[in-house]
Amino acid sequence: MKFRSERDSLVEALATAGRAVGGRGSSASAVLSGLLLSCEGNHLAVTGTDLDLTIRFDLEIIGIEDGSCVVPARLVADIVRSLEPGAVTVESTEDKVEISAARSRFGLRSYPVVEFPPMQPPSEPGTHLAAPVLAEGLRQVVRAASTDDARPLLTGVLMTNEGGTVRLVATDSYRLALRDLAGTSGFDDETEILVPARALAELQRIPFPATGGGEEPSVGVLTGPHEITFTTGSVRISTRLLDGSYPDYRQLIPDHYPNRLHLGKESLLGALRRVRLLVRDNTTPVRLAMRAGGVDLFVNATEVGDASETVDGDYTGEDLVIAFNPSYLIDGVEAVMGDEVLIETADAVKPATVRGAEKDDYRYLLMPVRVS
Amino acid sequence: MVPVSPGDAQGLGLERAILHVDMDAFFAAVEVLDNPELAGLPVIVGGTGGRGVVASCTYEARAYGVRSAMPSVRARQLCPDAVFVDGHYSRYSEVSQSLHQIFHATTPLVEPIGLDEAFLDVTGARRLLGSPHAIAVSLREQVQRELGITCSVGIGRSKLIAKLASKKAKPRADRRGMQPGPGVLLIDEEGEAAFLAALPIEALWGVGPATAARLHALGVRTVGELAEMPESTLVSRLGRAGGTHLAELARGHDPRPVEPDRGAKSIGHEETFPLDLDTMGELQHKLVRMAESVALHLRQASLGGKTVTVKVRFGDFSTITRSHTLPTAVDTAPAIGAVAGALLDGVDVSPGVRLLGVSVGGLAPGDPATQLSFDLAAAPAAAESQEDAAAIQESWHEVTAAIDAIRLRFGRAAVGTAAMVGNDRLEVPTQRQAPWGPNDDDGIGRAAPPG
Repeated sequence: MKFRSERDSLVEALATAGRAVGGRGSSASAVLSGLLLSCEGNHLAVTGTDLDLTIRFDLEIIGIEDGSCVVPARLVADIVRSLEPGAVTVESTEDKVEISAARSRFGLRSYPVVEFPPMQPPSEPGTHLAAPVLAEGLRQVVRAASTDDARPLLTGVLMTNEGGTVRLVATDSYRLALRDLAGTSGFDDETEILVPARALAELQRIPFPATGGGEEPSVGVLTGPHEITFTTGSVRISTRLLDGSYPDYRQLIPDHYPNRLHLGKESLLGALRRVRLLVRDNTTPVRLAMRAGGVDLFVNATEVGDASETVDGDYTGEDLVIAFNPSYLIDGVEAVMGDEVLIETADAVKPATVRGAEKDDYRYLLMPVRVS
Repeated sequence: MVPVSPGDAQGLGLERAILHVDMDAFFAAVEVLDNPELAGLPVIVGGTGGRGVVASCTYEARAYGVRSAMPSVRARQLCPDAVFVDGHYSRYSEVSQSLHQIFHATTPLVEPIGLDEAFLDVTGARRLLGSPHAIAVSLREQVQRELGITCSVGIGRSKLIAKLASKKAKPRADRRGMQPGPGVLLIDEEGEAAFLAALPIEALWGVGPATAARLHALGVRTVGELAEMPESTLVSRLGRAGGTHLAELARGHDPRPVEPDRGAKSIGHEETFPLDLDTMGELQHKLVRMAESVALHLRQASLGGKTVTVKVRFGDFSTITRSHTLPTAVDTAPAIGAVAGALLDGVDVSPGVRLLGVSVGGLAPGDPATQLSFDLAAAPAAAESQEDAAAIQESWHEVTAAIDAIRLRFGRAAVGTAAMVGNDRLEVPTQRQAPWGPNDDDGIGRAAPPG
């Protein structure tokens, strides 16, 4: 295999595909710390995988000789990134790969290609989702997924069909985020797939390709029985689906709330971020005293001090003091689209809902912190 | 500069001057103080019921052979005239606070061990307060004058020597009656070897029944004999860590510093087993009981903690710890037990476990603020998951409050979980963290507020 490429486009490919490599379980075989480079004609595919998550980056290069090789991911990305700008030549022999540019030359041991997990040739996406809407939904929902591997199901984001549109749901058991992607379709009634949040977080990092002619950029989605593939521009992200039935989140959502607080999003966020400055341990709650005319926020952090804020707004319901993890509350409020936010509550120990006052396609359920 | 004069009875020449202060029969002494009519009588603090145990007893009772941790029934047989009194833990805490104020007036370097014991490093205080011996004598007088109860003080250049010396300084009681002890005993560097040599090996920290048996098999019964053993022999018999450590102790080497505020950083419970345990089931069972003890102490101190640590010491003395930090503080036994159990599950116990411990750190005062969680019935592995500790904490919060109320009224063994069921009764583990291995004195009394 031999090809020549611009340094910057090769760096982007190596770095993007490299994000699938060695994230966890580095005890797996050594070849998984490598990237597969496959050159065919003037086309190069760079693939990294940890068996669960696979990222493939396709780019145009100047092909000299077809073939493939597996190179150490981190090392090669670091080397290529630090080369002089300009053309980079990569040439592989049986067990070595040579990278040269200007007056630099690196000869590196490579991994046997046969040991690299076999990759399916890419298939055509089954459906397309509008990229901006998906991006917005991911930003709102992925943050609520659990990062604790002890509860594997909760590390996933549920993608399902709700009334003909795609719905995203995630919860770490303390909060639950739900977003209906209006104007999207493509999943049938039975679809209920659980996508690892890690893969979606990677998808979020991929810039959507610019499309000409006022056409909206889209993300191709292909679901199989055990995996899902997202295609956007030159990047394909495939991930194994999580197996198991997701908790029945619908039963968590209250039918109605007796109390409703209506606030300006930015003034609430500003106040929350200020009082959170006192919270060093992520366990000190913020108390919200809701009353006619608005809400008083109060944080009392042992050994640090205390802080209070008042945010004016409209409140209907009984006076109520309820406490939350301030970071969780900020996560929910930040994700609201629009300028007005509603916080709906039942009592101090039942889940509250954060949502936008103007739109109803996003809901963030948050369990309070019980304080004495 | 303090002049170095070896053999000096004032201890001015010690490279480090460490005091170990230990109250004499603390709980019993406080009871006698509060009820002067009990003075001179054999007084036993402990469970007065048929299944109670002795938490503490006066030296008059000890003269009959009564000892701490002995079943009350047995104590009554030995000493039919004994006066049994219920313990008053809050009162002991109160006296303990005054005691620690006296310690802190002497030096800021105070490491409290339980309510009635502490190490004081007076190395630096010598210039201000005089010789270690003089400091100890005046401290002892001050305690007696201000609190009306007595203590014994050991002085040495290490915690080990100070601790062993305070024990020698204590009053003694046997069938011939009560013999007052010296009250203050200083072991200087010259006298260390002779002092240690005469002690039985069991006096050393870390020598439990299993190690003692192995050493006895080698013909070693005293610390002196132990010190003469080639270290290589010890290492081959007890493993590298254990052998080296023990050889050091036998020669009086104990470099551990006095650590102020140690007690405030975590609350724990550890047990050294008579025989090494190598089955996970048995260890998990022990762990549940330890979690109960830790939870109880947390709640008694009105504390909750976020970091749960499991400590495992293997037969060869190699020790590992595993910790997990939760998003919110816990103070219930099931929540602590769930996290600790999951941590222990990740440990290979097949080499045999000599000591197991559970502690909770990251302490914060008060009823812990608990992050509530959704009831996700379908989420699997609910019981094993560490993340669920918060949910368990929440679901047990009120039950635990009820258990505490019942125990307050009817005694510790009145109610407990199934794991507490012993041979014929509920056995609530009560030993507070015992850094000196299996307790020799007042162990149960110190940690087990009866009633």
